[in-house]
Amino acid sequence: MRLILLSLTFLSLSFANVIDDYLTALSVDAKKETPSFSGFDAKRGEVIFTSEHIGKKGKAISCVSCHGTNFTQSHQNFFTGKTIDPLSPKANPTRLSEAKTIDKWLKRNFNDVYNREGTALEKGDVLTYIISKDK
Amino acid sequence: MRFLFLIALLLSMAFSDDGNYNGSKPTKKGVAPATNALYLKECGSCHFAYQAGLLPANAWEKMMKNLENHFDTDASLAPDDFISISNYLKDNSAEKNMDYKRSSRIVNSLRGRAIPDSISLTPYMIEKHRDIKPHLITQKEVKGIFNCIACHTTADKGIYSDNDLRIPNFGRWQD
Repeated sequence: MRLILLSLTFLSLSFANVIDDYLTALSVDAKKETPSFSGFDAKRGEVIFTSEHIGKKGKAISCVSCHGTNFTQSHQNFFTGKTIDPLSPKANPTRLSEAKTIDKWLKRNFNDVYNREGTALEKGDVLTYIISKDK
Repeated sequence: MRFLFLIALLLSMAFSDDGNYNGSKPTKKGVAPATNALYLKECGSCHFAYQAGLLPANAWEKMMKNLENHFDTDASLAPDDFISISNYLKDNSAEKNMDYKRSSRIVNSLRGRAIPDSISLTPYMIEKHRDIKPHLITQKEVKGIFNCIACHTTADKGIYSDNDLRIPNFGRWQD
């Protein structure tokens, strides 16, 4: 039992490290993009997440269209109807637990909603917003 | 005895789907189920995980070349996953599964035709869905012809028989 608890603790710690390391790397890039960069902001991230844009499919959508606003609940892909697991790492422990997967979805989803890739600042802000909802 | 055999033979010919395939007769129903964990995870996170046996290798190759604009969505993959999934699709494509009825029908419907951009654009699929009223396909419970599992309740097992068909707000399908 103790072993299980211990390994779970390690697991959650290492997941926390993945997202922390990811944000640290993004902040280095953000500083290169904008020398006046002074940290990521959940409020800016919320605007990025909730504002509608003409996306890749030529339709006005936002991140909310597929992920909803309650990150502890699953939601449906706006176009295909496929269930998307919760965005909250607390509700869905595999979320934001692997840098490769975070890379993949940030690239894809900025393209899908904004029709361009996100800047390091935007990516950091939106990730900061997502994890801020767990706090 | 021989007479009975003849009747059985005639009956099976009468009830066989349609005779428009070439080569040997497929012995298995449906398509080979998708079992590759990476494929199911990567492709199945956005849409129904179509079995590789629903398209020939050249069509999968065409689709994989354009993942950045995958039906107007960015579905690009990490390089290692791209290679693994491309190989999986190539190795399990329709023409390698001609013992499965649906794979065989799809391949035969494409003879002499251009490489299709999607499963639903293969002549066999167009023909099979042609009598379904458009509103039943576009309704919110289905969304589009791409959503196999919305009506074919056993699609995830590779079975697409009329018996397992339930169209939302319509019900069973009688051919």
